[in-house]
Amino acid sequence: MTKTLRLLSAMLLVAGSFLAHGAACAEQVKLTWFMWSGSTADVEAWQHVASLVTEKYPDIAVEFQTASWMDYWTKLPALAAAGQLPDIISLQSMRAPGFADLMLPLDARIKADNFDIRAFDPSIIQGLQKNGHQFALPYDFGPWVMFYNYDWFTKAGVALPRPGWTADDFVRAAKALTHDGKFGTAVPVPDAFMAFATSSGAHFLNDQGQPDLTNPGMKAAFANYVALATTEKVAPVYPSSGTISSLIANGRFTAGDIAMYVDGPWQLLNIRKKASFKVGVAPLPVRQAGSITLSAGSGFGIAITSRHPEQAWKAIQVLTGPDAERFLASAGRAFAARTAYQVYWYDTAAKDVEGAHEALSAALKNARPYVTSPNWNTVASLFEQYAPVAFAGSQPPDKLLETIQSLATQ
Amino acid sequence: MVPAGRVVRADRAVPAGRVVRSGRPDATRRRRRPRGDLGTAICFLLPSLCGLLAFLILPLLASLLLSFSNWQIIGSPSFVGFSNYVTLFTRDPVFWEVFGNTLLYTAEYLVLNIVISVTMAVWIGSLSWGRRLFRVIFFLPVFTPLVGSALVWLLIFMPGGMLENVSAMLRVPIPNLVTNSHLAIQAVIIASLWSHFGYNLLLFSAALESIEGSYLDAAAVDGANGWQRFWRIRLPLISPALFFGTVLTAISGLQVFDQVYALTRGGPGSASSTLGYAIYTQGFVSYRLGNASAIAWVLFLIIMLLTALQLRLQRRWVHYDL
Repeated sequence: MTKTLRLLSAMLLVAGSFLAHGAACAEQVKLTWFMWSGSTADVEAWQHVASLVTEKYPDIAVEFQTASWMDYWTKLPALAAAGQLPDIISLQSMRAPGFADLMLPLDARIKADNFDIRAFDPSIIQGLQKNGHQFALPYDFGPWVMFYNYDWFTKAGVALPRPGWTADDFVRAAKALTHDGKFGTAVPVPDAFMAFATSSGAHFLNDQGQPDLTNPGMKAAFANYVALATTEKVAPVYPSSGTISSLIANGRFTAGDIAMYVDGPWQLLNIRKKASFKVGVAPLPVRQAGSITLSAGSGFGIAITSRHPEQAWKAIQVLTGPDAERFLASAGRAFAARTAYQVYWYDTAAKDVEGAHEALSAALKNARPYVTSPNWNTVASLFEQYAPVAFAGSQPPDKLLETIQSLATQ
Repeated sequence: MVPAGRVVRADRAVPAGRVVRSGRPDATRRRRRPRGDLGTAICFLLPSLCGLLAFLILPLLASLLLSFSNWQIIGSPSFVGFSNYVTLFTRDPVFWEVFGNTLLYTAEYLVLNIVISVTMAVWIGSLSWGRRLFRVIFFLPVFTPLVGSALVWLLIFMPGGMLENVSAMLRVPIPNLVTNSHLAIQAVIIASLWSHFGYNLLLFSAALESIEGSYLDAAAVDGANGWQRFWRIRLPLISPALFFGTVLTAISGLQVFDQVYALTRGGPGSASSTLGYAIYTQGFVSYRLGNASAIAWVLFLIIMLLTALQLRLQRRWVHYDL
């Protein structure tokens, strides 16, 4: 009798443990989410957003995995080749042509759930599409704008950049602010330059959507851009290194070594954390084609290999949902892709930022979606590696564009 | 006890089937022993053999196959024959520059590394105190992660960095190494030397210490001065260590990657790009795995040829018989 009881209780225990295990499994699905980050402030913000998913869906946990911007685009295809893609992939609109194939199209799910896609800015919804299919839901977007050191400008008595300011005003201000090893501006590549070229009326893609960097318009624009470092000497020369040029510019700007530089509104979080001065924002200066900037953004999609696509779909709705957008916009990490939440970027993140509202409004009016080629990662990397040669004056800018073009399209 | 070598030869000489049929006890003993040994040997070798197969032989073969394909990581590959190699040698606008950079880097780094480490080893060996301390100090950079030390070198070399400040203070014009296309490779060489010469220093120090004092005493009695003792006695006696250090340094020089990646990313332009770094950019920035594998095989062949050449030349200058 005792033996039978013991056996029964043992069986119950085993069954119980299996049940408990099963229940635990049913309780929480662990999703992996891969996202780039540039600072601890970034990581903290994303981890908070990941926790919002579990708050809404206790049966889903999102594990945040990160890499630096450059390494992200190296690691992502390597993970794909190894069959180890995370469940949720982050996608930038400029990389969508090259990487969307790693992700599941969301159209059927959007339709089935009657998901309100109109709540987002249409240009970034379009930016995360390939061949008419939606591959990611956006969390942010924004036009490249000019960040400037308000205190430095006012102290030097230089007129603040305002919507409508011209290329001449820009060079004049940069010259006035360049002295004692400090510079008026910076020349990061390729994004800030592509915006510069677009304002100059140049096109960097041909009709087939492939890089066309050697047309006369691009050559002239690059010569003018390079001249800021070589002849005008209002921008510092920088080496080709493991740090991308926009981050070098960001670092020198927040350290107070550079008076103004071009970047996206998503950088406000990092700028605010690091800068000890009042920051201002202005649209790009007017050039031949006007004050035309580029706009791009990023979002999250589901990996084609995910074993939990349903849960991942729920998760990306939260990651780009109202609470996440409110948080990211307020922190200055994202100019919200949900148009109704952009107010938090203006009112909270950019509260003390001079001219933010009028600058962003003006820039958005004249922004073009940053449409790129499938090999844009190569183009961007080549610009990082080769542009410093031109800035150092070692090679003429037009020859350098020819080198980049031939390497990008070989 | 029959030596192992003889057993194997006996086994080869007598076919297995015949031995069993002959039924001779000594022949059976000969057969059993190698079988037992072979099983044990396989058991002992199997783990490392599996490792060798999984992590060396198979990837090597896979990369050879890949070099004949146009695989771009995303999507499926197709066979393209020798097209990657042809592109590399005839159409790639920077391959020959990168190839030249690699040879320049290896030659300069090898010569400087050996000269500095031998000189320092002799100098430290002549000290009456602090030999161990200096060896530890100079060996420390070998422990330091290359990427970390390369970043520190970047802070020193970059515009507005320490080197520029020092040159301004001393009023000595020093050109900027990392923004100058002609000098960027020198920045990589300096960072590499700092990181690696400690290993050879330790190797040569140990070789110098093991030289019998009587050789040097005898030479001194014969009237040889310090310079002659170094060239005629010390250097020939440490030549095996010198050869070992030269081969390894040349191989690591040809394979250089970390310093280039962290310090210059091959730039400005392709000024400091090496074959090792080109493999990375082709494979993981441009996602052209076929091209990357082709470069990897070119590098593999260069290393193999150079090492074979060194092994051949060593007969002329390495003395094992002293």
